Amino acid sequence: MSSQSRAQSGSDIQDRRVTDGRISARWFPLFMLLPALIFILVIMLFPLIYSLYVSFTPYELLKPNSLNFELSRALRNYQKLFADAIFWKSVGNTIVFLFLSINLSYVIALGLSQLLARVTRGQGIMRTLLMVPMMFAPILVGFQFRWFFNANVGLVNNLLYSLGLMQERGQIAWLVDEPLGMFSIIVASIWMNLPVLTIILLAGTLSLPQETFEAADVDGANSWQQFRFITFPLLAPFSYIALTILSLDISRAFDIVRIMTDGGPAHRTELIWTYVTRLAIENTKFGLGSAMSWVTVVLAVAFTLYFFRQLVRSRVVQ
Amino acid sequence: MHHKARLLIFIIVLMLGTGLVAQDMDEPQYAGLDMDLSGINIRMANIGGGTYEAMYESIPIFEEATGATVEIVALLDGFAIDQKLKVDFATGAADYDVAWDHTSFMAQYTDFLLPLNDYFSEEELVAFSPAILDAATVDGNLYLIPRHADISPIHYRLDLYESEEIAAEYLAATGEELTVPTTLEQIDRQARFFVENGHSTFGYTLAGRDEALNGRFYELVFASGGAMFDENWEPVFNSEIGVAVAELLHGWYRDSIIPADTTSLVWDGVAQYFCNGDTAIKLEWYGWYAWFQDPANCPAISNNFGLARGFTGLSIGGDNVRPTGWAGAHAFSVPATAPNAEAGIQLIKFLSSERVSYEEAQLGYLPVRNDVWDRIIADAEMAENPLDKERLVLAKLQIAEDFKTPPLIAEWIPFSNLLYPKLQAIMLGDVGAQEALDQAAVETRELMADAGYYG
Repeated sequence: MSSQSRAQSGSDIQDRRVTDGRISARWFPLFMLLPALIFILVIMLFPLIYSLYVSFTPYELLKPNSLNFELSRALRNYQKLFADAIFWKSVGNTIVFLFLSINLSYVIALGLSQLLARVTRGQGIMRTLLMVPMMFAPILVGFQFRWFFNANVGLVNNLLYSLGLMQERGQIAWLVDEPLGMFSIIVASIWMNLPVLTIILLAGTLSLPQETFEAADVDGANSWQQFRFITFPLLAPFSYIALTILSLDISRAFDIVRIMTDGGPAHRTELIWTYVTRLAIENTKFGLGSAMSWVTVVLAVAFTLYFFRQLVRSRVVQ
Repeated sequence: MHHKARLLIFIIVLMLGTGLVAQDMDEPQYAGLDMDLSGINIRMANIGGGTYEAMYESIPIFEEATGATVEIVALLDGFAIDQKLKVDFATGAADYDVAWDHTSFMAQYTDFLLPLNDYFSEEELVAFSPAILDAATVDGNLYLIPRHADISPIHYRLDLYESEEIAAEYLAATGEELTVPTTLEQIDRQARFFVENGHSTFGYTLAGRDEALNGRFYELVFASGGAMFDENWEPVFNSEIGVAVAELLHGWYRDSIIPADTTSLVWDGVAQYFCNGDTAIKLEWYGWYAWFQDPANCPAISNNFGLARGFTGLSIGGDNVRPTGWAGAHAFSVPATAPNAEAGIQLIKFLSSERVSYEEAQLGYLPVRNDVWDRIIADAEMAENPLDKERLVLAKLQIAEDFKTPPLIAEWIPFSNLLYPKLQAIMLGDVGAQEALDQAAVETRELMADAGYYG
């Protein structure tokens, strides 16, 4: 069979239409995906759309009759939200938290990955140890760090007291004072983030072509120059993937914040996630909480789009 | 003479014997064991942590007698159970038969609770304190069966109040005798004195978050003659009295009279400071008593603390000042959607029975049953530590005269969630008392208006 006739035959197969009740090849993949699509629709899309609907109603958890859509009051939750100083404070706190937590996690993970890549013996053990924080549920991380930073019986204050760096026990209220409260939850968040980031960056580092480094050696580049001009740029796709995963996953920090400070005191560590919970669950204003969730979704999507754009750009550069 | 002595011995033996028989007959009895519940699994959402878990040791007796099994589906602190109940009621997921509840929370979800009037006879209810049953009743419907009374006496460290040197020092510094405080102004002066003169790390301790802080503020305001709402449900906590109380709290925080992490503390944190001997005075419920007295737990204050009636508020309240007494009761409720409501009610009858209440009272909890009060006061007559009896007499007095629940309205918790961060901000010095309370009053009015309070 000539190549032309083979191509013709393939095209015939592709263009075959349903004539005898069977599904065409074109639709077959979609058909196979259908269960998953239905599952996603039911599990994810329906709640999303429903919560959007709820956000336009005055729905209160314990008042089923309040789930009423009235056009004249539809935007009231959003109006209330945008006029709420605590909402804007929680947005500001969340930006600070995300910026510091993600960037500091990245810098530390980058350093750790470079050190680990140079370890010649016991790398397996070190990688295993590095994974330990991943084995803790965020809520346990929250309890653990709440105890570390407890002013009265906490590890940090008792350590400082034992070392003579603090005159009286309980002098430093880590979870209360500004900006120590935010610092404390960022430390806990970084501790939880590090394993994933480090492993991705370590994998990226180990996959870099050695020839480039050998050539740089020949040219007399020192270690810092090799890192600055070779490793760091070549790791860009890995960095963006790691940062994108982290930025999507960072809302897991909710559990940590909830346990450590619960957004307080006086909203000092209030993040959008804790404030949503406060509005929707504690105050039972589910409509208002849903409106805030949607604002959060918009912010998260914008954040993700930004990272993906950077990821694509970094690949084009390469 | 010899004959008379024999007769006397015979009479004594007879009296002791009949006494023992009478005592046997008078043993506190369990209730709720008179129904065959074989094969029924009773699900229960319970309070946990602190010293609560010891209270569930009686459940196997119920299981053995009735044939039911009891499954504890949640073991959370009080605030977490409140949130669980709200979410479960709203989503129809309250598939348990008994829930721990509190008189302060219950008004939020009366539509989702089973009224218990028809399940408890008058004879069964007559044993409970009427004031506490009132606090468990909304619009004539009894939604809760009380379990423990919740009211706070002053706790103070004896070593500070029994020291002659400290008393002399206090007299020299202030011109007044060092006595157990009876007014908020005295609390302020003494707490500051103890801290400033190095006698105690902190002068006072209080819970500083959630409804706990709101309740303490409410208590100090009403003790000072003020109120949170007027008769038309208009917020009035931003009055002169409310501002003075809030400024007092700020002053305590600013001057380290209370711990630096006060705004992180709830009940267990407050108790821990007292247990460590780090605080001179506090207002706290009776439930920690056995824990505080156990030298294995709290060597610094075991047999080293006293209890006193709540203090009156700030004197700016004039004739309207009264003793503190923010109160309520831990209780049990039955969700309207409970799959085995009747079995759950039997379990509540058991857990609130004279015998179980008596056993729990021995752990330090305040009973809500009059029959148990009589027993534990009689027991305490023979106790080595006179405080064992004094505390009960004091508690009974407080329940009779000072017991004041927060308003039993559904908006109490949302209102608390609105106000307590403002109180925290005042304490921490982020904002002035008048400004923060005025802002809170505006927001409270909006909350109440949304709930339909102003027509």
